Amino acid sequence: MGKIKNNKVVKAIGFNRIVLIGVIILLYIVFTILTPILHSGVTFVSYERIMSALNYAYFIGFMALGVTFVIATGGIDFSVGPVMFASALISGFCLTKYNVPLPLCLLISLLIGLAFGTLNGYFVSYRFLPSFITSMASMQIAKGIGSVFTKTQNVTWPASGSANSWYRYLVKWNNIPTGFILLCLVAVICAVVLNKTKAGRYMLCIGSNKEAVRLSGVNTKKWEMIAYMICGMLAGLAAIFYVGAYTTVQPGLGDTFNNEAIAACVMGGTSMAGGLASILGSIIGAVIVALMQEGILAMGFTISYQYVLTGLIVLAAVTADIMSRKRKN
Amino acid sequence: MGEVILTMKGIDKSFPGVRALDKVDLEVRKGEVLALMGENGAGKSTLMKVLTGIYTRDAGTITYEGREVTYNNPREAQADGIVIVHQELNMMGHLTVAQNIFIGREFRKGPFIDDAKMNEEAAKLFARLNIDIDPKETMSKLTVGMQQMCEIAKAISHEAKVIIFDEPSAALTDAEIDRLFEIIRSLRKQQMAIVYISHRMDEIKRITDRVSVMRDGAYVGTLITEECTKDDIINMMVGRVIYEDPKTESQVSPGAPVVLKVDHLNAGRMVRDVSFELKKGEILGFAGLMGAGRTETLRAVFGADPKESGDIYLNGNKINIKTPQDAVKAGIGYLSEDRKRYGVVLQKTITENSTLACLDEYVKGIFIDGKKERKITKKYVEALKTKTPGIDQLVMNLSGGNQQKVVVAKWLVNNCDILIFDEPTRGIDVGAKQEIYELMNKLVKEEGKSIIMISSEMTEILRMSDRIVVMCEGRKTGELDIAGVTQEKIMQLATMRD
Repeated sequence: MGKIKNNKVVKAIGFNRIVLIGVIILLYIVFTILTPILHSGVTFVSYERIMSALNYAYFIGFMALGVTFVIATGGIDFSVGPVMFASALISGFCLTKYNVPLPLCLLISLLIGLAFGTLNGYFVSYRFLPSFITSMASMQIAKGIGSVFTKTQNVTWPASGSANSWYRYLVKWNNIPTGFILLCLVAVICAVVLNKTKAGRYMLCIGSNKEAVRLSGVNTKKWEMIAYMICGMLAGLAAIFYVGAYTTVQPGLGDTFNNEAIAACVMGGTSMAGGLASILGSIIGAVIVALMQEGILAMGFTISYQYVLTGLIVLAAVTADIMSRKRKN
Repeated sequence: MGEVILTMKGIDKSFPGVRALDKVDLEVRKGEVLALMGENGAGKSTLMKVLTGIYTRDAGTITYEGREVTYNNPREAQADGIVIVHQELNMMGHLTVAQNIFIGREFRKGPFIDDAKMNEEAAKLFARLNIDIDPKETMSKLTVGMQQMCEIAKAISHEAKVIIFDEPSAALTDAEIDRLFEIIRSLRKQQMAIVYISHRMDEIKRITDRVSVMRDGAYVGTLITEECTKDDIINMMVGRVIYEDPKTESQVSPGAPVVLKVDHLNAGRMVRDVSFELKKGEILGFAGLMGAGRTETLRAVFGADPKESGDIYLNGNKINIKTPQDAVKAGIGYLSEDRKRYGVVLQKTITENSTLACLDEYVKGIFIDGKKERKITKKYVEALKTKTPGIDQLVMNLSGGNQQKVVVAKWLVNNCDILIFDEPTRGIDVGAKQEIYELMNKLVKEEGKSIIMISSEMTEILRMSDRIVVMCEGRKTGELDIAGVTQEKIMQLATMRD
């Protein structure tokens, strides 16, 4: 065991990330076997199912990337799901009702996310509110604002083939999962920011010991706030991939996705106590969440089972995190 | 001397990779105070934790009142009469004194808690200890010293026969320590057995009957306190002689320029109208009792806490320090008394900690320049003789002394000219202490740094300072040149209340 853990490649990827990849394979096998048994006439192995799971993984993945930054600083963001929906609703409304050019609408989506991130960051960093409370409040605001803007109507983005539908190529182009490529690309950028730049270094250090970092002459407020801003903007980006996959957005929803994004992070090895974060882990976590959702539906269960499972996963992952830290102490 | 009440024999305890206790013997007698001494990491606390069942022992026997015992948790030990009074007080601030003492075993009247009965019983305990504390007072309103008394009362309420004091005096004023010792003496008279863990030599000499010394997890030996000297004990602890000779005259040339001038500083209750000057190449000692406002003063200077009024001059120019950022930019570094909370980022590497104060200089484009960063870290690990397997080691894996060196490195990497050392050797073992002293002397002599050193240890103040500022209750009560200074003089000023 120790030998495996000290292997260079294993070290670079991280032992628990490798375990998680194993979990993905295992889940896939389990679903493949169980689906025809539990849901007669249905098979799990198909190109469509993989694409469907990936569709889910994209937007969860982008949110998870953002949440990783916030958790790295020792905070939490419970608003990403509704913020993503608010972004998708408002920018979609601009596109369909006001004929705002598509590129501008995509930008609006990012900016709405950024605005919520800035709001969260300001109150957490400069007004010293607990991130838990702040993001709960902004979750409510995001849910409400999306509805107010669209007068509680669904917004449906242009379908494939119609005008202004090229945004869907961001998700899938000629049967190529472009969404996955873009997710990986953004993940690489995030990993570089977190591990190779001053911003990432400060955020991780803030998560470990904020006061020591402040007393080292670092503007901790600024860097902490930037983490929330990145998180918000990535929720805005997630919105683009959500509509790219599903086109229709309903107002007043989105909070169930928070937990899935957070579950993806903690599964991937990002510590809820702050200071330790894995971008790769969050992506793998998002894929697991998406695969489970697909599997549960394929086996003929309702999505409610997914909520129960996500809740259990968060409990298990955080317990594992706390136990491993206790052991180290 | 009383009969033996507790014997620990051949106690072994290992943690992964560490032999924490190696065949340790200890004998505690009724009606005596036994000092348990040793450097940090010698195994004192581990031994006490094995005794009270927090850790399970790998081997060895514990005989208590003639029978062999094994406790699975502190509660069982307590029920048997073995109680620890911890250094950190485990008190609930919003509850009353009596409620704290009887927490977990409240007196009841039907389904309700009988506060009247608890107050009565607590009052009886205090009477027995000859302490004047109102059982109905809210705990958080008491001084730390008083709270400690409550802990003792709580211990006694368990019908304790063996009381272990784990560094009880760390947070107490001298007056409170006197009071504590009175109580310990009266407990001794009542035939209780007392184990007293402390680093303070003078206290050991004052209060204890015998001294048992541990080193590196092993039992070294036991001395009769009356028959031994401080040096004897220290020699047993470290296996080498340590000279604690005081400085006799200032090492600073009379014409040295003033690098930092603080003028009429006010910041809250603990910093009232404080002025002082720091000269180039000087070690300026800040002496005083706990709670004199020394830390508060220097934290305000550093911008860690807000100021109300007062001016700060750096090399003759007035500067505005509002946040630690301003101070760090001005070349001031602050080494906190609480390293783990305010000094280092424990879960990060030595490298990451070393460049934390000036990361801007180790950035190439948008990326951190790993090579440059590692180079400077290596340089200071070697220069400061930080003991570590490598610069990628997490700071949490280093000993206290080496963590302190990492903090020093952080400020040196930032090229700070003024360093504020707040209790630089607190919680650091004797050997590492010596190294920190040498380092400080080297910094002022060879590097031209200027140091402000807050210290509650008289020997440290007398040994290191060129000049001494004494504070009491938020005010500066005096300034002394090292030449001709005496402990008495400092103590006089430190207790000069309005």
